Amino acid sequence: MDYEWDFSAVLSNIDLLLLGLLNTLKVTALALCFGLALGLVLALLRLSQRRLVSIPAGLVIEFLRSTPPLVQLFWVFFALPLLVGITFEPLTAAVITFSIQSAAFFAEVFRGGIISIETGQWESARALGMRYWEMMRRIILPQSVKRMIPAFAERSIEVLKTTTLVASVAYADLLYQAISLSQQTYRPLEVFSVVAVMYFLLIFPLSQALNLFERYLGRSGEGTVH
Amino acid sequence: MTDGHVWNFAPVLENLPLLVSGMGGNVLLAICAIVAGFAVGLVGGLGRYSRKIIYRWPATLFVEVFRNTPVLVQIMWFYFAFPVISPFRVSSFTAALLGLALNTGAFSAEIFRGGIQSISRGQWDAGGALGMTYLQQLRRIVLPQAVKRMVPAFTNRAIEVLKMTTLASTIAYGEILYRGKVLSFSHFNPIETYTVVALLFFTLVYPLTRVVRRFELSQKKDQSGD
Repeated sequence: MDYEWDFSAVLSNIDLLLLGLLNTLKVTALALCFGLALGLVLALLRLSQRRLVSIPAGLVIEFLRSTPPLVQLFWVFFALPLLVGITFEPLTAAVITFSIQSAAFFAEVFRGGIISIETGQWESARALGMRYWEMMRRIILPQSVKRMIPAFAERSIEVLKTTTLVASVAYADLLYQAISLSQQTYRPLEVFSVVAVMYFLLIFPLSQALNLFERYLGRSGEGTVH
Repeated sequence: MTDGHVWNFAPVLENLPLLVSGMGGNVLLAICAIVAGFAVGLVGGLGRYSRKIIYRWPATLFVEVFRNTPVLVQIMWFYFAFPVISPFRVSSFTAALLGLALNTGAFSAEIFRGGIQSISRGQWDAGGALGMTYLQQLRRIVLPQAVKRMVPAFTNRAIEVLKMTTLASTIAYGEILYRGKVLSFSHFNPIETYTVVALLFFTLVYPLTRVVRRFELSQKKDQSGD
């Protein structure tokens, strides 16, 4: 147990790790943007009155939720390019995977939020002569979004953590930089410990902020969906 | 879209036993991680609930660190970094198990804490008044009442762990995804291989999620009934 810790190799290469951190944030931000939009579409399709639309949408959501994200990533990175005849950059493959994967989870949050609105709201909107999209856009979504915020935030933190999987398809995110730096410096203990701390410093404040916000919502008597 | 990819599942189906036995590796890893993780979680949850700082602070530190760093970073830390200071040899199975079990431990600690918190302190005091020791109060009074409320959260966590076991492929543990990767390289058929891997996983996980959901619904009905 008399191991001598030596952080100098890590600290002199900290710019590599910071670059990786930036790439991690880039994947996360892109995946969340597309994931949210796609999630809303999936939720609306699943809530459709037409079974021809709602059943396939439900199947897609269940399939994406019931398979491991890493399997999905490998499928998109190794299999999809052969099917469509285009090669993807690791970044593209990662953004596609995490967008559709988080879309499936976001869709369930949207759906939960939408069905949590009392039917009276729909009825009064209809009584005013609104059509389906008007009711959704003006009455239902604005009320339900506030209830969904905690679930969205929690899922976004999950996505941030899941982006580490891109390291396995050689995208230079923070974890990938850690692997290559530890191979260059022969200091895996220091490198991986520093990287774990970096992730913690990034994620912990986000979770704490989310906790505070949930407590605030709880006090103001707002319901939330999960 | 496709410029005529000819689907050919024959090589994958020939190697199906290899993939299925690989999935046995996922199940084994998941069971070990869940059992060990729930045990760690019980201790962690009691620590978090304790009024004594010497129990509460270390438990909180453990829970926050493992909940707020990506599980793949934890697994890689145990695989690449931990062997430097480890007194024993760390195989890829051991590293994956350590990462997954401690991660599960941190998440289930919060489930145990929530469940135990939902039982009023008076129940402990009543046990104490009957002359029971702490462990007797816990085992005979508190846990039996709390466990039923915690079951859905635990089963959801267990399903998450099962999906997470595919991360062990990144450290060359021979589970289904790793075997799929090797197969697809040697047969040049990533499309068919990864599709079969995804379907196999879906047939394993989806029935479990259905069972959990049915159980949650019946529990909700029970609660609204009384």
